[in-house]
Amino acid sequence: MGDPFGMSLTHAIASGMGGIRTAGDLVARMQLNYRMRLPEAKKYVAEKLHVSTFDLSDSTVMRNLREELDIGCVEAIPGLAKGLAAKARIADLLDIKIAAVEKLKGKLPV
Amino acid sequence: MAHEDLIKEAQESVLSQDKAKAIDVANRALAAGMSPQEIMNEGFIVGIRQLGDKFDEGEVFLPELMLSAEAMEAAMEICNAALPEGESQSRGTVVIGTVEGDVHDIGKAIVVSYMRASGFEVHDLGRDCPTDKFVDTAKEVNANVVGASALLTATLRKQREIVEALKEAGIRDQVKFVVGGAVCTQGWADEIGADAYAKDAGDGIRKIEALLGL
Amino acid sequence: MSKIWTRMGDGSAVEMTPDELRADIIAASEDAADKGRVPPLEDNEVEKLIEIFSAPWRVIGVEPGHEVPLTKDETACTLVSSQLSSGAHLPISREAAVEIFERVFCFDTMELGWIDYSFKPAKAMVSLDQVSIERLLATTVFPVLYGAMPNMGLYYTPDGPFTNPADLLGMMKIDEARQEEMKAAELCMEDMIYMCKRFDEIGADGIDFDTTASAGDADFWATLKTVEELKKTTDLGIEVGMSGEFILGMHGEIEYNGKKLAGMFPHQQLKVVEEAGADIFGPVVNTKTNKSAAWNVARAVTFVKEVCKQATIPIHANVGMGVGGTPMFETPPVDALSRASVAMVEIAKVDGL
Repeated sequence: MGDPFGMSLTHAIASGMGGIRTAGDLVARMQLNYRMRLPEAKKYVAEKLHVSTFDLSDSTVMRNLREELDIGCVEAIPGLAKGLAAKARIADLLDIKIAAVEKLKGKLPV
Repeated sequence: MAHEDLIKEAQESVLSQDKAKAIDVANRALAAGMSPQEIMNEGFIVGIRQLGDKFDEGEVFLPELMLSAEAMEAAMEICNAALPEGESQSRGTVVIGTVEGDVHDIGKAIVVSYMRASGFEVHDLGRDCPTDKFVDTAKEVNANVVGASALLTATLRKQREIVEALKEAGIRDQVKFVVGGAVCTQGWADEIGADAYAKDAGDGIRKIEALLGL
Repeated sequence: MSKIWTRMGDGSAVEMTPDELRADIIAASEDAADKGRVPPLEDNEVEKLIEIFSAPWRVIGVEPGHEVPLTKDETACTLVSSQLSSGAHLPISREAAVEIFERVFCFDTMELGWIDYSFKPAKAMVSLDQVSIERLLATTVFPVLYGAMPNMGLYYTPDGPFTNPADLLGMMKIDEARQEEMKAAELCMEDMIYMCKRFDEIGADGIDFDTTASAGDADFWATLKTVEELKKTTDLGIEVGMSGEFILGMHGEIEYNGKKLAGMFPHQQLKVVEEAGADIFGPVVNTKTNKSAAWNVARAVTFVKEVCKQATIPIHANVGMGVGGTPMFETPPVDALSRASVAMVEIAKVDGL
């Protein structure tokens, strides 16, 4: 709780994977929705992305890769997938189900 | 029966939360010629301290603490009745509450149980208690100790308010002011001029006993 | 002998000799081992902690490649709330706050929750929170959870319909107190299941139960039963974050799958949380403000290391204010916080924070 600079930001800098800046969101999905422990989650994602587990937290590697795979970038780049579109591509890439994407599919006209 | 055996039985009656046994032991101890102070201090109070250790270790829980308090109170009633007029052995009078604006009271409930079990007369003001009520009740019951609990950083400052109100009422020097709660620290207690910071119920009892010279 | 500049558990600065630092770390580990009946830290782990706390730099970090995903409790209150949540009260929406966490703080997940961050008061606002989550699911890339505290204490008088068991216990009405606790637990469970299913309906990625067991063993039981039900009937990922290192026995006799909940330490809490079906477990170890930061971190890491060793699900140790070795102070010093963060990752081997 509390103090965004002292708490959240400090943990993010000291230990955090980096979210959509890197592959942190992808690894987090494998933990939250597939109960994978960290090494397994990182291995799974790394294999799907064809990178090493070390590279998953490397913002130089992942920035380019995320743009290439069009799975959502931290910068707002016109034309690149954002929000649900990015999630749909992530679900396909990782071969997982993302609930919001499934809901969208249910809403799309046949 | 040897006094040592009675002392051990007194300890066990509290540890096993057995009110009937506590009453029985108190009566037999007095009949055997033990002084009320001896059976209380070496028997029942030691038993409560041992129970407190078990509570801290997670071996017994709040309902057991309450039942032990009941056993202890029953024993104390018998022992106090055996004392000469004016020498009753309440270990002290405590006024305690959760400060105004704060509705957390589980920690305070534990402290209250523990204090009653340890032979203190406790006036529990409840939660969200206005500052004036701490002071007015302390005056009314001639308190030795005022305790204030706060669980939120936003309500912590009420503890400082209570210290100031005790000074304004002219009774600051007559009471020991003890603070506690999850966000409370020794540094804060020192800053506001509290007499002690209690990090948990057991620590609170020990500090109150030390402050009152028990 | 040169001194090491460090912190106390309340965030105040202190200097310690290397011998004092070592002694504190060992004593803390032994304290945790004794209390929780878990193994103490090994020699190399003690040395690692000494290295962490002796480092002269203001902020330290994990080794490259060791980074972990972050989840967060208290939702975005840190940006939009007041001192109530040690918040900054920025004039922004909760949705904007969550997006800031995604693109500015680069968190790996985030949650949305009601400002009055408990299930009971949030229930009346569920449709508002549903559309907020829907908006976020459409605009963000990272996982979005809904977070709230079971906070079963709100079901007792004066806030709720059931007599406060603390009052009943004070009157020696033990059986009545226990009955009221179970009634409150049933209603709390109903409310939590109702709300969580609403978020499953709109496709939330998960639910975070924050400060579980704050009202004691019945509160814990209600959460476990809720998790059980949700795992059978929804697609939600579930994180269970605790409130303390030790389950308070307000009832004293409640069991889950034959295990008494009162008195459980983190590695024992883990087991029942796993049995209930949760996906992530967030253990808590409470900071002692009169001990050094190193003492607190060593103690926390000793407990959490055992949790990680026994876990079959990801472990996201709680490292908020006053827990997980972090100082109990509203604006915690970044030097102490980064050390707690690193110790949890590098020594306790958590799967996240």
